[in-house]
Order: sequence, then C-alpha cells, then structure tokens
Amino acid sequence: MENVVLSAWGLTKTFGGFTAVDHISFDVKEGECLGILGPNGAGKTTTIFMLLDLIIPTSGDLTIFGMQYRGDREQILQRMNFASAYMDMMPRMTVYENLLIMATLYQVQNAGEVITHYAKMLEIEELLSSQHKNLSAGQKTRVQLCKAFLNDPKLLLLDEPTASLDPDISASVRRDILEAQKRGMTVVITSHNMAEVEEICDRVLFMSHGKIVSEDTPEGLARAVRKVRVQLMIKDGQKRTVAFAQKAGFAVVASDRFVTIDVDEDDIAYLLSGLAEKHVEYRQIAIDKPTLEDYFIAMSRKNI
Amino acid sequence: MNTTRIYAIVLKFWFDTKRDMFRLFDVFWWPAFDLFVWGLLSTYLNKATSGSINFVLLFLAGMIFWSFFDRASRDISRSMMEELWNRNLPNIFSTPLRLTEYVIGVLIIAAIKLIVGGIFLLVLSTLFYGFRVSSMGWFFLPAMAGLMLFGWSVSFVVQSLVLRFGHTIEVFIWAVAIFLQPFSCVFYPMTTLPVWAQYVARLLPTMYLFEAMRAILAGIPVRPWDISLSFILNAIYLIASVSFFYRTFRHAKINGLLTKPF
Repeated sequence: MENVVLSAWGLTKTFGGFTAVDHISFDVKEGECLGILGPNGAGKTTTIFMLLDLIIPTSGDLTIFGMQYRGDREQILQRMNFASAYMDMMPRMTVYENLLIMATLYQVQNAGEVITHYAKMLEIEELLSSQHKNLSAGQKTRVQLCKAFLNDPKLLLLDEPTASLDPDISASVRRDILEAQKRGMTVVITSHNMAEVEEICDRVLFMSHGKIVSEDTPEGLARAVRKVRVQLMIKDGQKRTVAFAQKAGFAVVASDRFVTIDVDEDDIAYLLSGLAEKHVEYRQIAIDKPTLEDYFIAMSRKNI
Repeated sequence: MNTTRIYAIVLKFWFDTKRDMFRLFDVFWWPAFDLFVWGLLSTYLNKATSGSINFVLLFLAGMIFWSFFDRASRDISRSMMEELWNRNLPNIFSTPLRLTEYVIGVLIIAAIKLIVGGIFLLVLSTLFYGFRVSSMGWFFLPAMAGLMLFGWSVSFVVQSLVLRFGHTIEVFIWAVAIFLQPFSCVFYPMTTLPVWAQYVARLLPTMYLFEAMRAILAGIPVRPWDISLSFILNAIYLIASVSFFYRTFRHAKINGLLTKPF
C-alpha cells in the first residue's frame, strides 16, 4: 500500500468574513504529483501556504509525514521545500549568498557543492555571482527552483513554478520536476499552465471559491468536457453541411472551405453519417479531443 | 534551539550589510556626524562659559549614550522591515527556522553593530575632544547594556506594529527615539521638565541612566536604587515587548500577513 505523505481533512481558512479555503480534504501519496488548479482567488495559494505553516488554518487537520505542525514543525519543514514565482530573495545579496543562507537554514552538508550541482542542473551557474536584484523574472524563478531542491525534499510544493519562464526553460523545468519525482519526490503544484499540469501531474484537484469541485486524473477531468471540435475541409456541400449541423442543434462556424462543428463525443457518429447521407464530400477531417484547458475554461465559466 | 540556523541568520545580515554602503553609514557616518556637531557646540559653550561646566564631557557622554539607544531601537525593526519589503519572509519561515532562532540571530548582529559603532565613537571622541570613557568608571558597561536593552524593547514593539499594520507604521522606526529623547533627559536633569513630563520620564529606564551619568561626571555618588530601578523597568519592558512580538507574529500567521506583498 502506498504511503500517504500529506493528509488534509476539513482544512478551512477564513479571513474576517471571507472564506478563502472551505473544508477541503485530500491526501497525497508518496511519489505522486498532485496538481491544484482553479481560477484566480480559488484558494490554491492559501492552501499551499497552510501546507507550509505560513498561514495557520482556521479549522481542520493537517498531517504531513505522519506528524502535525503543533509538535513537529521543524521535522516536517526539514523534509519539505517550496518555490513560488511570486516570492523574492534579498536583492543586494548574490544568488550564491542567498542560496547559501537557505542551505544553511536547512543544514545542508557540503552546501557549496550542492548549490553548484543544482545551479548546473537549472542552468543558472553563471548567475551565482550576480546580485539577485539584477536578475530577470525568469532567472529569479529558476533561482527559486534551485532553492527548492537544496535540501533534496521528500515533499516539494510549487506555486506557479514556470510563470514568466521562456517555453524552452519551462520545458526544462518540467523535466527537472519529473526527474525529481522519479527520484521519489512527492510534488504538489499549482499552475495556470494546463499543458504543464497534463504533462507532470498524476492527479488534479480543481478548486473554485475555496472548495474542491472535482478531483481526477488530468485525462479524466478533460473527458468530463464532452464537447469535441470537428473541423472539416469541404470539397463539395458546404451549405448542406452548415444546414445539417444547424438543424441538429450543433454550434457551427464556416469560413472559406472550412466548417467547424462542436458536438458531444457521442454525436460524432451521427454527424458523420448525416453528412454522408447529404452527399457531402470533404478532403480533410480533424477531431480535437477536449483538453484540461477546455475543462478549466468550462469550469471557470460555470463559476461554481 | 539550533546554532546552525542562528548562524545562517547572522550570515544573512553580514552578507546584506557588506553590500550596502548605507548600512555602514548607519554604523559609522551618522554617529560620527552627530559627534562632531555636539563636540563643536560643547567646545564653543566651554569657551563661552569659561569652563565653569564641562560641556564637552556632558554633551559627548550624553550623545554617545543616546546613540546606543537610538541605533538599538532601530536595528531589529529595520531587519524585519527589509524582509517584508523583499518578500523574503515566506522563504525563511518555510524552513525549519524557529522565530526564537531568528530573533537571536538578529540580536547578535545588532549587538555586534552596536559594539563596533560604540568603539568607533569612543575612539573619535578621545582623539578629537579628549573624552575619556574611564571618567565614568564602572558605570559605563551597565549603562550601555541598559540603553541597548531598552532600545531592543522599543524595537520589538515597533516591529510588531509593522507586522500588524504594514508600511504605514514604518515612520515609527525612526520616530520613536526622537519622541522618547526629551523624556529621557539626555542633556539636562529631570527636574528641568514640566511636572507632567517628569511622571512620563520616571517610567523610562533611560532617564535613570542619564541622571546617573551626570551624577558620576559631577563627582556625586550614584544611588544604586536608581540603577536597579532602571534594570527592573528594562526587564519588565523587554518581557512585555517580546511577548507582544510573539503574539503579533502568530496573529500575522493567522491573518496571512507574512505572505502578503508589503
């Protein structure tokens, strides 16, 4: 049986009359990568900060590595780390000095070697002697990630880790996270990058207004969006295609020789057989399956 | 308590200080500037009054003593203020670091800065004005310790207010010492104050120390009770201010203030 690294039960946070996180419960298993998704203000970052003991929950229970913050804060945090694109470091100090201090706080042995190792891995070796204030947003994010790996944490919390990174660096960071996961690291990540979540997460919690509204694999959530986009390059019968789609109640858009129709997954066969009956000829057909991004948009529009 | 983590905090302030010329100004330049202004004024007054009162000794001793309190009252609050400015608090408090370890690290670096700055001032005042610290005898050390402790108490209160109310309170970091100076009777006896202000002055440990300083310089015996009272008040204020700071830190964690942009 897989070990549960983190267990939250009924976790709630209210600020005055506003409920930021509302009775959420979830487990994270050892080696798992859990994504927390949701629109702005859903309570994702507040949840991450509660997991780090930076915000004290109003109610609920939180167990990490079988321990609780009330008695075992140091033991828990020694085995965790986190990175956020929105946190900064001391601006006048060099990157190396900032990382050395963090490594010392985690009592990392051979801190210099460890810093160099992760700096190489994240391609920031040449930045080590630069003052932190002179870094670009993307470079700062990579330094944060380097900081997050310093103590080789068993549980890594990442808040928007690839925000403001170039696509190639983002891809490299995702590889690093996947590598870390292969080494046995458990990861909890919040992100607005759906492709990223689909690539690295085993399971996703979707939060809205402080509540968990759904929980599944990225593919499972995407399947919940039943709309499929069918794009046809028409050779003959464009008007007949549009007329048939409209009569069937499908959303349809026509331009040049292309017709795009949104249908439920179950209606694809009905659509294609109907077009055949109308003697519509097409050169190309593309069927786009729903992605996690479609789910995100659908859920956000629902405003649950 | 973990000494490695305390060392990390000391190291952090050392790295930050050595890269910031303005911090060095705080330790060396401004106190030296004050010393020369007061030194010149007191030299002039000595000449104008034909030396009936040794203004150089009175003013310079007062100024050096006051600079200890003044800097102690700012150092700790400025440290946390900069962490808030730079959004670094979530980084350091998501490590196993305990608040007590952070505070001890900050106090160590503050004490080192005070000692270095104090020695620098004493050397300057000896070289330029012939001021001799030995003229105060044994009293010098407890006086410095008392001023430093009260400065730290003030700093803990200001730091707590900054944590709770944010940068709108920032001005207090610099203003508190100025506000307390008239009641501390740095350059004149307490009896000079209006009666109502004397009641306020009696609540300040600094007042007893400055009164004792003047007594020693005038060759009058110091009343041990005054020194004891100063330390009793210091102990009360330090315990109260540290408790207030810990409560405020917890309040900040409950209200998510550590993670908010400053």
